[in-house]
Formats: sequence, structure tokens, C-alpha cells
Amino acid sequence: MSEALLEARGIGKVFPMGRTRLEVLRGCELRVAPGEFVAIMGKSGSGKSTLLHILGALDVPTAGEVLLDGTPTFAAESGVARLAARLDQLAEPVQRGIMFVLKYLLLATLWACLLLILAFPFLVLYLSPALTIPLFAVGGVAAATAGLALLLAGLLLVRLLLVHLAERRQVGLRRRVFGFVFQFYHLLPELNVLENVTISRMTECGMLGWFRRRGSARRQAREVLERVGLGERLKHRPQELSGGECQRVALARALVHRPRILLADEPTGNLDAEAGRNIMGLLARLHREGQTIVMVTHDDSVAAYADRVLLLADGRLQAARLA
Amino acid sequence: MYKLFLTLRYLRKRRIVYFAIAAVTLCVAMVLIVLSVMGGWLDMVMQQARGLLGDIVVDNKAYAGFPLYQEFIDEIGTWPEIVAATPVIYSYGLFYFKQTEQSGMVRVVGIRLPDVYEVNAFKDSLFYEHYYPETTHLGEQQQPLWGFDIDGPPLTLADATGETFQAYGHALPPPYQEALERARRAYAAARPGGADPVLRDPDSPDTPLNEERARYGLPPIPGWYRQNLAEPRAALQGDALPGLIFGRDIVARRLSDGRYDRYYPRGMLATLTLMATSIHAQVDPIPIKQAFRYVDDSRTGVFDIDSQHVYCDFQRLQDLLRMGPAERVNDAGEVIGSAPARCSQIQIKVAPGAATPARLSALTTRLEELYHSYLDDERFELDFTERQLVGRVSAMTWQESQAHIFAPVQKEKALVTILFGIISLVAVALILCILYMIVLQKTRDIGIVKAIGGSTGGVALIFVLYGAAVGVTGAALGTMLGVVFVTNINEIQDFLIALNPAWRVWDLQVYSFDRIPSAVNVPDAVFVALAAVAAATLGSLVAALRAGFMHPVEALRHE
Repeated sequence: MSEALLEARGIGKVFPMGRTRLEVLRGCELRVAPGEFVAIMGKSGSGKSTLLHILGALDVPTAGEVLLDGTPTFAAESGVARLAARLDQLAEPVQRGIMFVLKYLLLATLWACLLLILAFPFLVLYLSPALTIPLFAVGGVAAATAGLALLLAGLLLVRLLLVHLAERRQVGLRRRVFGFVFQFYHLLPELNVLENVTISRMTECGMLGWFRRRGSARRQAREVLERVGLGERLKHRPQELSGGECQRVALARALVHRPRILLADEPTGNLDAEAGRNIMGLLARLHREGQTIVMVTHDDSVAAYADRVLLLADGRLQAARLA
Repeated sequence: MYKLFLTLRYLRKRRIVYFAIAAVTLCVAMVLIVLSVMGGWLDMVMQQARGLLGDIVVDNKAYAGFPLYQEFIDEIGTWPEIVAATPVIYSYGLFYFKQTEQSGMVRVVGIRLPDVYEVNAFKDSLFYEHYYPETTHLGEQQQPLWGFDIDGPPLTLADATGETFQAYGHALPPPYQEALERARRAYAAARPGGADPVLRDPDSPDTPLNEERARYGLPPIPGWYRQNLAEPRAALQGDALPGLIFGRDIVARRLSDGRYDRYYPRGMLATLTLMATSIHAQVDPIPIKQAFRYVDDSRTGVFDIDSQHVYCDFQRLQDLLRMGPAERVNDAGEVIGSAPARCSQIQIKVAPGAATPARLSALTTRLEELYHSYLDDERFELDFTERQLVGRVSAMTWQESQAHIFAPVQKEKALVTILFGIISLVAVALILCILYMIVLQKTRDIGIVKAIGGSTGGVALIFVLYGAAVGVTGAALGTMLGVVFVTNINEIQDFLIALNPAWRVWDLQVYSFDRIPSAVNVPDAVFVALAAVAAATLGSLVAALRAGFMHPVEALRHE
């Protein structure tokens, strides 16, 4: 086998379920060569999607590592990032506590304000020097509350920054290397077809960069949409499209930044047979053009489009032969 | 770029956020209106309280006053920073109008009227002097007849025959005659198409005169006399008595439309009873009674001043209170020298360039030092008590001397601003709730954005920008609403009154000012707008943090 583009080594994933633990993946091994079309099959709840998310840098394994061109996708890049990752683990319970306090503190302030509004006519009617101290006291309490809220918000912002630093590599991979197609399309309902595709390009650059690349990005988006047969539906919103069309938009969005690996999670799972065949036809064409694809499915007929089919059972991957 | 793009898209598409924008708009407008009205009120109180003071006030907080004021005024008159200075005497007395049995305690202020005109804006506060310039003075004078006829014009005694005032054979003294002619010309010009100076309208004889005059922008007619014009009368009549200026709230009643209903005609006889005190603040048991003529009334706008102050000539009050120069005698009754005259206060106007707070402060120090140097000056033979009085003299700026009037208004302004500011937190809480709700609704979209490359910080920033955009939009609309409301606040009230007179918010019988004071202070408006943006951004933080911390896989699986 040629050099692996994507490699999973001993991937394990455990979900804490209250006091118990659900071990979904137990040392999965996978090598995907460039241009290969791999299908992963398995029963519902077997962990196919979880594995796909880990491969696509959307989730983190509890054991093992994922290598892209031989480089780990989850390795901490620097001391700061390692510290961030460590703090990220430690800060989880603290963050929950702070969010709780912050939320209820502000809600308590809201109630206090409503009470003040109700009391306002009386305060104005009886505004006297004797009320000065209570009113300033209320002002002081409000200022202290606001100060405390700011402090807590500041702490959370620091944590947000740390998380942001820790996930920089994964975000970069999602922007440039991977393209996702989901079972339920996952289009943004506020955006039209063209915008749903171009937003993927927007994540790659800042405001100035976008104004430089806007024209080319839109042109590419139109080209990709024409390839998937939606060149005439650019201004339509997702709710005006059929399921098959939505999935083709999702496919266009995944392809617009020319990803090295296309990850498809049950791409036909929500479509009728005809629409499913269309989508798989598109994927097959992409594969012929050299696109590396990793697809998760439970449908034999869909898996048949792949070069290689793997079965995920008992948390491990094994070669499978289609019936 | 996706952050700004999604922010703007959500701002347009999520209509529930319009409520948050409306809340910010109303809060900004509310705080701006309150700040503007209270700030305008404070400015007007300060301006009008200043009307009775100079830039600097020299005082010694002693009822007996202090000597050597004229020497001081003469000396500082040569300083380039000083424009004018005038002495003032403060005392207390009892006024009495025999015709109406009105009486009351007042603070009697002795002033040199021409000098006071130079030092402060007292002249602007006078009613008759404003409309009929150079007719108000505090010297001895008779009662002028014009100006009092309820059925006729205040100045023109011309009746239906068109006879002029001179027809009665009594030419007025020059300032009165000039004022008369001026007013007649003004009236003739104001009345469309006619030079008929007769105010009485033959077509509608019952038209209330003041309304008729108000229509032509002329001053209302004071008084209640009804003259029999067919009977020749003297232009000026009665004994010549010194003039007394009253605080307007003593001699007039403020009507609900802001005008004043004066109880007395100009020149009405009034008696003032004073109690002289010695330099040791011992009250003379024999009261001093002096008849005056009511020559004018002053309105500073500060009720405490307008309802409790009367103003007479400085020299006359000094003589009445025995504060003038006197012989100093020993126990044997032999004259051993002279005691200098005293005043209660010196008001000083400084040159415009010297009116900065720093220069005023330095000047007050110099003035105090000058006055205290008189203690060691061999030219003046001061006794022990006089030395004590001079030693107590201090100089302060007009703001410092009137702090007792401004401080409550400043405190009320701060208080009301804090109160409305606290209420404005409702907008913050509303933004928090609405954005939190949007984040919950958009959980899956957040997962999608993260899956296609949105970072934790980026997703959080979408909602921070969202809150900021709500704040900016609300602040801009609120500032516009507030400025439009404040600028037209009096017109809005006029409109409400036209609908229902009971809806008058600013009752002129209660408040000192004719119009609702309002002045949009640009720094205040900018501060309120920025605070609104900051508050809205703060309100979005919780939602933003929740969105940012959302795990992409969990978010994608959200139902």
C-alpha cells in the first residue's frame, strides 16, 4: 500500500454517561491512501459517526492518534497550547459553575431592576434626602453586581482564549483539509444556496482577505454548484429545495475549498433511492477525479461505490466483504 | 469575515432581536432626555443664580459687614483683570403694601444699581427695565401714570380721539417719553397694516388685553388701574419716594401659562421696616420705617431669591442701618476719630480672559491677601472689632458662594441618572435573554459553522458582534429619538396641552422656568451611546460564551 494520507492508530473513545462510561471505539486502526474511497459500515450506535468526527478533527479521541501526512492532528503545537489544553481539562467544572453564577446573577439583576421600575413612582413622589443613601446603596449594589459579572465574564473570556489557542490546528484542518457532508445536510437556513457554499470560504480569511478573494470565491462556488447541478438555484433558500438538492448543496459546500479528504456521514441516509443514487453518482465521479473519500454508511448498495469497505464492530475496524 | 456576515444576517433575519433594539433605543432616549432636562435645569439655575453675583464674591459672613470696601474697590479697579466691582449690603426687613395689607419678611439688598448692571446680569432680570429701558432707578421718584390701564395700552394714553399723552399738558421726563414713543412705534409696526396706536379693539371690546398684546409680541400690561381718560391727570403723581425693586414672586402671581399677574402698578407705595444693628450685631430696639415706591420686579428664576429679596439703593440702606461712616467717641463722649463705612459683600466682575477656574482661583487668593494687608496698613485706624471683621474677609468664586443652591440640583441630577441607568440594565438583561434564546435555537447552526472551520473564538465573536450591533443600532436610534424629543420637548408639551390642558407636565406655577429646560450635551450623548453599546455587548457575553464553548459534535446532534 502506498503512503497513507490519513492514518488512525489505536483510536479509542469513551463517553462518560453519569457514573458509567460508554466505550464506543476500542483501538481502531485505519489507513487511507490518497485518492482512495473508503466506506465504513456498521450498525446504528456502533460509533461510525464518532470515528468520522475524530478523523475529521471535529472530536478528540480518548486514546490513540490521527495522523495526516504522518503528522498528528491533535498534537499540541506549543507550550501555550499544551497549557491551554491542560487548563481546558481542569477548567470544565469551574466553567460550569461560573456560567451558572453569571446567568443567575444577571437574572437576579433583571428582577431587581423590575422591582425598581415598580417602585420608581414612589421613589420620585417621595424623593427626599432620606432616600439618597438607599438609592446610592442600590446604585452601589448594581455597580458591584456589574463589576462581579464583568470579572466572571473576564475569567470565561480567558478560558475561551485558551480553548481557541488549543484548537487552532484542528480548526485549520477543518478549513483547508477536510470537507464534511452530513446525513441531515446541515445547511444554514438564513442563507441562500450560494451563501451556504461561500461561507465555507469565508472561514479561511479575515475581512480584508475576503474582500480581495470575494470574486474568485463566488466564482468557484458557482462552478461547484453547477457541477452538482444547482447552477440555476443559487438564490434559493434551503427550505425551498428538496432533500436531494439540499444534499448536493452540502456536497458543494464541502468541495468548494478543494479538500484533500471528503468525509461523508450517511450522505444518502435521508434521501429517497433516486436522490441517493444521484449523490452517490456525484461521489463516484469525484472519486474518479482523484478525490479521497471516507464515507460512513449502513447501506450495502451505497458502500458498493467504495474501493474498500470496513466494518466497525465492537469498537474495532475490520475488513468487510459486501454480500 | 464569516463572523460579520453571520452577525448582519442574524440581525436582519431574527426578528425577535428587534425587541432588544427597541429596549436599547428607549433606554438611551430615556437617559438622554433625563440628562438633558436635568442638565438644562442645572445650567439655568446656575446662570440665573449668577445674575445676582459677580465672578468673584468678597464676603466675611458677618451680619455687621466689613469696612474699607471703597478703598479696596478703588485699588483693585486699577488691576487689569478687574472690570468692575460694587459693594452690597444684606439685611432683613418687613415689607408692607397698605392697599392690599400684604406684608412679609424679606432679605433687603442694598445695591448701587448702575454698578450692579456692570458687574452682573441683574439688569436682564428686571421686567420694566427690559421693556422700557432706562426707566428703572432707585432714587426718589413719583408714580408714573402710564402703563396701568387694564382697558388701554400701557404707554399710549391715546383714546378713541387719538390724542397723545402731551395733550394732557404734562410732558414726561425724557427716558419715559422715549420709552413711550418706542413702544408706540413697536406696537404700530406689530399691528398689521395700521399705525393706529390704540390697543382697544373696537370690534371685540371684550378681548382680554394681555392676549391681544401677546398676539403682537408686546409685553403684557401690568396693573389694575382703570383711568378715566377723559379727565386730565398728571403724568407723574404722588410724593417722590425712593425706589424699591421686588423679587417677582412677592408682587406677582405666576399663571399656568408662564406669565405673571402683577398685583400692583408700577410706582405703588410700599413700606419697609428695618432693624438697625450695631457693629457688634446688637439689634436696635427702635425699628426704622421707610416708604418706597415699587419701581420694578426682578426674576432670577430661583424661587428662594425671587420670593424673598427686595433691592434698594446702597447708600440709603447703609444710612438706614447706620453702617455709614460715623464718629468714634470715647467714654467721655469726645470725638477721637472716625469709623469707616461698612458693606456686607463686594461683587467683582473679572475680564473674560481671567474667568478660567485656575485664574479665578489665583485671583481670589490675591484679593484676600490684599484685604488682609489692610490690617497692617497705617492709613486705616481700625478698632479691635473692625480688625476682626476685616480678618474674616474671604474671596470666593460665584460657584463656590452659590454651592448651596447648585448642590441639591447636582445631586438630583446624579440621583435620577443613576436611577434611570439602573432601569436601563433591563435592556442588558433583555439582550442576555434574547441572545441566549437565539443561541439555544441556533445550536445546530453553531455546530455547522464549527464543522466548516469556525473557531471557538470566532463563533463567540459572532454573538458578541451581534450584541454590539444591537447596541449600536439601538444607541443610534435612541440618540436620534432623544435629541428630537429634547429639541421639541416644549412643542410636544404644547401639543399635549392642546389636546387636554390637564396633561401639562411642566407646571409653570410650580417651576421657575417658562420653558422646560433642555440642552443636549454632546459629551453626555456620546457617553450614553457608548455606554449603551458597551452594555449591550456585555449582555451578549453569556450567550457568546455559551456558543463559543459549544462542542461541535454535540451541537450537530442537537435536535
